[in-house]
Amino acid sequence: MNISPDEIRAAVRRLWDFFSRKSKAQFAEMYLPSATVFAVDSRRMDLARLMLVRRERELFGPASSVAVKLGPIDVQLVVPDLAVASYPFHLSITRALPGGKRHQAEVPSGRATQVFQRDEKGVLRILHEHMSSAEQVTVKELPATGAAASAQVSR
Amino acid sequence: MLSCGEAMESISPEHVRVEVRRFWAILSGKLKDNLAEMYSPTAIVFTGKGKRSESAKLIAVRRSRQSHGAATTSRAELDSIEVQIVGTDAAIAAYTYSYHTDKIGADGARVQLDVLLGRATQIFQRDEAGALRIVHEHLSATTSPELKKATG
Repeated sequence: MNISPDEIRAAVRRLWDFFSRKSKAQFAEMYLPSATVFAVDSRRMDLARLMLVRRERELFGPASSVAVKLGPIDVQLVVPDLAVASYPFHLSITRALPGGKRHQAEVPSGRATQVFQRDEKGVLRILHEHMSSAEQVTVKELPATGAAASAQVSR
Repeated sequence: MLSCGEAMESISPEHVRVEVRRFWAILSGKLKDNLAEMYSPTAIVFTGKGKRSESAKLIAVRRSRQSHGAATTSRAELDSIEVQIVGTDAAIAAYTYSYHTDKIGADGARVQLDVLLGRATQIFQRDEAGALRIVHEHLSATTSPELKKATG
């Protein structure tokens, strides 16, 4: 079954919806087991499953948050079961770090490339992802969360 | 350029790596092939610093003008190129690289551009003649490219 551009755009919006709602399992399901990823701040390419472990630890907890605004999504249909989505985005992330620290990062000029492939069940999943920023990412430290700060004090 | 005969074989990872190395050899001015011919007519590109994707045709013209300038020297070093083959007609190449350009500007000043931690994704598709063409490219750096005016 050929892929349509609207299917890809819907898959991209679903991915970010799962990410910002912290729907861990559904977010992970969007990636094929062999998927590879260049994260915005990573020097090298990782297997998506390693990226998922890191995101789960830092971005899916109660003290973390993800908000995104997507720009227009271009879709290129490459071969019948492979398509490429590319788009700009603005990302705001609050990341929980060990010890209760939190960092807020702004990615005002994010750029995404996501290569989608149909799996054997016909579901569109990501085979490769490349996220980057056209501008320096700004990061600021936020006060520790109440629970984590208390835990630190009581130690 | 590598191309396949009438009996189309699957694309091999080495076939893709050859094309990636050819791309950088052209960009560095070490090979005089036409950069625009590496791209499919509908290809789109995220350059290292562009906020939006652009038509590869425009980018190729701009890059060729820059890399073939009389007083420009460039050097690219590629790390290992990971290749994922998709079906018989498409492949994804992903790798990290460094790129150094040294040129004399219009005002006579020497300008150096260093991309130390570059990351590249290039998606190739076989065209109707059997040649591999880039249909999508995303180049980025984890730190902004370092631009400095050198003395002398």
